[in-house]
Amino acid sequence: MWHALCVQTLGWTSRKNTMHRIGSKSLMACTLFLSTSVWSQVTAALTRPGLVAQDSINGADTAWMMTSTALVLLMTLPGIALFYGGMVRKKNVLNTMAGVVAAAALVSLLWFAVGYSIAFTPGNGLIGGDTRLWFSGLDYIKDAGKVAVSHVAPNVPESVYAMFQLTFAIITAALIVGAVVERLRFSALLWFVGLWSVLVYAPIAHWVWEPGGWLAQRGVLDFAGGAVVHINAGISGLVCAYMVGPRKGYGRESFEPFNLGLTMAGAGLLWVGWFGFNAGSAVAADGRAGLAMAVTHIAASAGAVTWMLGEWIVRGRPSLLGLCSGLVAGLVAITPAAGFVTPASALLIGAVAGVACYWGATGLKRLLNADDSLDVFGVHGIGGIVGALMTGLLASKTVSGVQGDVVVQLMGVGAVVVYSAVMSAAVLWFTNLMVGLRVDDGAEVTGLDIAQHREHMGT
Amino acid sequence: MLASEKLAIAAHLHVLLRRKTGRVTDTQWMADNAEYATEIVRFVRQSAAQDGHEELLPWADKLEQAVLPAAAARSKETLQMVPSSMPTLRSLLASNTVQAGESGVDSARYVRGLR
Repeated sequence: MWHALCVQTLGWTSRKNTMHRIGSKSLMACTLFLSTSVWSQVTAALTRPGLVAQDSINGADTAWMMTSTALVLLMTLPGIALFYGGMVRKKNVLNTMAGVVAAAALVSLLWFAVGYSIAFTPGNGLIGGDTRLWFSGLDYIKDAGKVAVSHVAPNVPESVYAMFQLTFAIITAALIVGAVVERLRFSALLWFVGLWSVLVYAPIAHWVWEPGGWLAQRGVLDFAGGAVVHINAGISGLVCAYMVGPRKGYGRESFEPFNLGLTMAGAGLLWVGWFGFNAGSAVAADGRAGLAMAVTHIAASAGAVTWMLGEWIVRGRPSLLGLCSGLVAGLVAITPAAGFVTPASALLIGAVAGVACYWGATGLKRLLNADDSLDVFGVHGIGGIVGALMTGLLASKTVSGVQGDVVVQLMGVGAVVVYSAVMSAAVLWFTNLMVGLRVDDGAEVTGLDIAQHREHMGT
Repeated sequence: MLASEKLAIAAHLHVLLRRKTGRVTDTQWMADNAEYATEIVRFVRQSAAQDGHEELLPWADKLEQAVLPAAAARSKETLQMVPSSMPTLRSLLASNTVQAGESGVDSARYVRGLR
């Protein structure tokens, strides 16, 4: 009941970047206003996860969040699996898909055990607490009429919010697979993804999305994960590509993609699933979610068109892979901005991202000279950076109540880039000590489907 | 020019020569060795003149420019004597489309990247 009042009076809703949206003056006013014992209890409930009456849960919001959770999971399984599986050589398709499925399962268990708690419970600015380890406290008590909610999303059951956030952790880890396909040991992938999910993803999610996180406190805007998901995965992918080294024959042989039709099917699932990703990040079935959905679609379309035009001019032919990559570029770039910008701004963001990511996956790729096999950095890293900075430039006070700041956004980007790069290198170094990183040359020539799984695609 | 770009041109020429003239070449050596590249450029121009494979000529020029910059500069001086106009978007698109059409799906398409 009380938080409904607080939401109405202070605009304190369950959206991400809550602390930024309230502002320090409003917080002080709230503290004074809530000085009675009753309201002190209310404050306690607001600042950390806890039990509330079941009738305080919003049914429409909960239904939308459950739908969004399924949509975001669909982006990985089978979206990313198809998207990546179609781009590798035939002898490595199953290994690539197995990597995505295994990452999804492993990250899920680690999120349940550790990740959710250290990401989304109050702690300090750098890391959350231990109160939700093993999902402890995510209660539903029928007789008492109580259900646990997160302070970040007080209108939906915490179980739903934890699952929604889990799908983000899954897709972020799955994205990195694209940078190291066709030569990384399967066991090394499991070690890396497991450690990375806990040591890199969860802390960054806490910095940006938990109201006490140090980047959230400084007003960094990241509506649905431009920095947490895409810059993070892009940088990590680039570091992995450098450390694992290029595929045998890279730069000399043509690596024919197995089936770009599969890639298109994956891209389609990503586009649809992204409605859950961005509109779901409103954590409500409301006008802001609706706008987030609209801007998501506009940016994807703009990204596809500008990448296509760029390729047409430079190469003489527009390609299906270019169209698929362009729409993903637009989606990546609108991700941090989705709840902050107008449709016209979304058009601009998507258009810029299409061109920038085309350069990222071609010209910049040659400059970097890393075998980032499926262009994780070129598309997700560059798209995420473009989106984060343009959010600072274009965030509309009318839409969200906050004014963007490019310098603050740049700080957020820098922090994520540095932490992600350093920690990814450390995790990969440890993985190398444990199991080694690459398959041997013979296995690479044979293909990882046979060498790592004793399976093959068939005819 | 990056080594990868030289290699991509050499790979392209390798495919065209095999297809048009039946000549099998060493792609890596073509990109690395100026003497071998000179002979390939000579052979391509001879084939173009004798057998009418004029579509090979732009690739001979590209290889010359990539691997033999001094020789390419001399050719450029000759070309500069001919008046030229700025390329329009349409002509650029058209020329790129012609090049893309010539190459089709070939072994150089996915060298060093998918996009």
